[in-house]
Amino acid sequence: MAADDTPVLATRGLTKRYRGTEALVDLDLEVAAGEVVGYLGPNGAGKTTTIRLLLGLIRPTSGTAQVFGLDCRRDAVAVHRRLAYVGGEASLWPGLTGAETLHLLGRVQGQVDDAYRDELVERFALDPGKKVRAYSKGNRQKLILIAALMTRADLLVLDEPTSGLDPLMEQAFRLSIHEARDRGQTVFLSSHILSEVEALCDRVGILRAGRLVEMGTMAELRHLSALTVEATFAGTVPDLGAVPGVTAVSLDGRTVRCQVRGSVEPLLRVLADSGVTGLLSREPSLEELFLARYGAGADPDPVTRGDGASRGD
Amino acid sequence: MATVPPVATEPASLGTSRPTRSPASVVAGLTARAASRSGAVWGAVFGIAVAASAVSYTTLYTSETQRRALAAAYGANHATTALFGPAPELDTVAGFTAFKVSMSLMVLGAVWGLLTTTRLLRGEEDEGRWELLLAGRTTMRRATVRALAGLGVGVVVLWTLTAAGTVLAGRDAKVAIAPGPACFFALAMVATAAMFVGVGGVTSQLAGTRRQAAAWAATALGIAYAVRLVADAGVGLHGLIWLSPLGWVEELGALTDPRPVALLPIAVFTGFLVTVTAALAGRRDIGASVVADHDRSRPRLALLSRPAGLAVRLARPTVLAWWTAITVSGLLYGMIARSAGATITGSSVHQVFTRLGATGTGAGAVLGVCFLVLGVLVAFVAAGQLTAARGEEASGRLDNLLVRPVSPGGWLGGRVGIAVGALLVAGVLGGVAAWVGAASQHAGVRIGAVVLAGVNLVPPAVVILGLGVLVLGVAPRATSGVVYGYLAWSLLVLVVGGIGATSHWVLDTSVFHQMAAAPAVPVDWTANAVMVGVAAVLGGTGVLAFRRRDLAGA
Repeated sequence: MAADDTPVLATRGLTKRYRGTEALVDLDLEVAAGEVVGYLGPNGAGKTTTIRLLLGLIRPTSGTAQVFGLDCRRDAVAVHRRLAYVGGEASLWPGLTGAETLHLLGRVQGQVDDAYRDELVERFALDPGKKVRAYSKGNRQKLILIAALMTRADLLVLDEPTSGLDPLMEQAFRLSIHEARDRGQTVFLSSHILSEVEALCDRVGILRAGRLVEMGTMAELRHLSALTVEATFAGTVPDLGAVPGVTAVSLDGRTVRCQVRGSVEPLLRVLADSGVTGLLSREPSLEELFLARYGAGADPDPVTRGDGASRGD
Repeated sequence: MATVPPVATEPASLGTSRPTRSPASVVAGLTARAASRSGAVWGAVFGIAVAASAVSYTTLYTSETQRRALAAAYGANHATTALFGPAPELDTVAGFTAFKVSMSLMVLGAVWGLLTTTRLLRGEEDEGRWELLLAGRTTMRRATVRALAGLGVGVVVLWTLTAAGTVLAGRDAKVAIAPGPACFFALAMVATAAMFVGVGGVTSQLAGTRRQAAAWAATALGIAYAVRLVADAGVGLHGLIWLSPLGWVEELGALTDPRPVALLPIAVFTGFLVTVTAALAGRRDIGASVVADHDRSRPRLALLSRPAGLAVRLARPTVLAWWTAITVSGLLYGMIARSAGATITGSSVHQVFTRLGATGTGAGAVLGVCFLVLGVLVAFVAAGQLTAARGEEASGRLDNLLVRPVSPGGWLGGRVGIAVGALLVAGVLGGVAAWVGAASQHAGVRIGAVVLAGVNLVPPAVVILGLGVLVLGVAPRATSGVVYGYLAWSLLVLVVGGIGATSHWVLDTSVFHQMAAAPAVPVDWTANAVMVGVAAVLGGTGVLAFRRRDLAGA
């Protein structure tokens, strides 16, 4: 494990350009030991580029990337001894069976918890006797998930790891990540499944067009976004449009719906003086936060776009 | 909060889709495009080879006496007939050209046909691309038929360029081959390509993977060659010629004694194979094979502890197939060496052998020339290993290793080491097999000399390997094209150089020209050391470049 004050993962001004296209720009990121960090962004935002830089598979154009205090590119072998990676596209050797693949990847990694591997095979309902070419996409994904988790590596780097898994297997994955966190493992999770990130992660970063536009705990992110408030009045409906921080006021009979940024105190004072008979407030979901950051940036009040999480593309 | 730059909203033009174009037509178009591209490259090589052979004959063999001596030496030689096909009318440009290039182009055409077909049928299916197409308004059977039609376009391109080379050479007054016979000759040269498109089509339905489909089709080619060889060996079994597709092409008698009737079995066989391919495609599920494939197996873990072990396991089937082909070829060459050597009496033959570096006479001289052919086979082993290594990277499978404690340089170095080992074994097997064949005929060839001649085949292949590693390091997507392109160029220069029509500068660009024609002459260890040194520098630079660059997908 890294020393207490050394982040498990740290990037400074990390930038990657491909022939004039900026895939990632000035990424400053730190992940402490034992953290589970989510990494969100639309397609092409730079998530996979970030992960390939962290794995040393590609070189940064500028900036630095360190894992366990070591340079990701120069000290790749030493870094890789302590991390395990799962990609969203399981490209494996079709002629090998599942058991052979797990054996190979475990031996190459150099550390495997055999008992845990067997438990994972059972948990993910994988038939290891089959050849990889006979597996469905979901089963191939399970195979690389097991191959990563069975190592009990200090750092798990996961790039859309549940791609192709059914909801039951998604639950098995979440259980496995909870176990990893309980053991003190660090997890860096890039995902399109917002409910998954919301359920698993301590902190979330949102990437857009190669730039990190948000980074914080769920509470911190929510604080930056609007709160939806719905109030029903017994008598005259007050004019809430003039209250500081209140926007997007709409009226339906005696019920007012609005959004509040910053302190809710001014609104509460007005409501208290106006004979409120019912009051509902709701924090934004991660999907709403994500859409607020990603949704073209044109809508300042995106919180009312709906709730619930869904699989992104 | 960070300032978010505007995202580009100007969409790139996607062109206009034509709703009337069915997925089957798309398959035909894509296949035709891919097949035409490689057909054009191979067709250019075919055309140049034919033209160079024809033109060089007119400059080499200027007098009637020289031409008659050549005809006398080869015309009735059963050993060379068994290896390279019959040699009628060697005292004419047309006869010499047909003899010179026919067997090479027939075999290369068949190899093109089976490799291209299995790549574009089973290979595309292996990669999952057919699933996208078959989700549209088409069926497996219809898409397969259209893909075969696309491959047919590739064969036409191959024929067009071969015919163009022959017709252009024929316009030379000294060559004087009329356009009609030239086009018929080109048709004969690509007939094997058409038939092995059919063979590859059938094996793509039978086998579960592209590699297996290609291996089965290559086995069929090997059998066809062996049957033709026996038929032409002068042992009273010439009737067998009608059992081999290569024999039918031989019976066409292009440029010497045209017999278009032999087109009949070629057309019927090709049509039959296309029909069988379509019928089998209609009977199976996508991704499945007609011959039941074992989806389960007991774990075989012996080699699966390190990346090098994995590389051995993955390369094993292909390398074993090459070793078998080299061993069988060496055995056959050894068996004919004595009788072929005994009939090399004409000065012109001696001249040809000398130009190939095989000075001297007798079995040793014949083996010297035959080992050049074995050298080409060994070089193909090297090229295959490189494209396999690139395939691991392009498919993303290499990621699984490099995200673990495996260094890129170590991985590539391991692959190269395994490839060099495979080449060495191939060389020794070729040498030993040739000695066994020669000894069975009491050819009086020493085992030490022949085995060393086998080892002598390795340095040119190592140069191909070194060049390939360099390209893999600096321009990975060009690896296959450069490696096979340089191999084809070296082979072409070898063929043309053998008849002495090329400048020394051009000859020196062929890696095979640097190889001593052992056992006809002693092994040139200095040249071999230089080749290994050059390969080491190229390969070392390639490994360094590979370590420094980003991984590149397909």
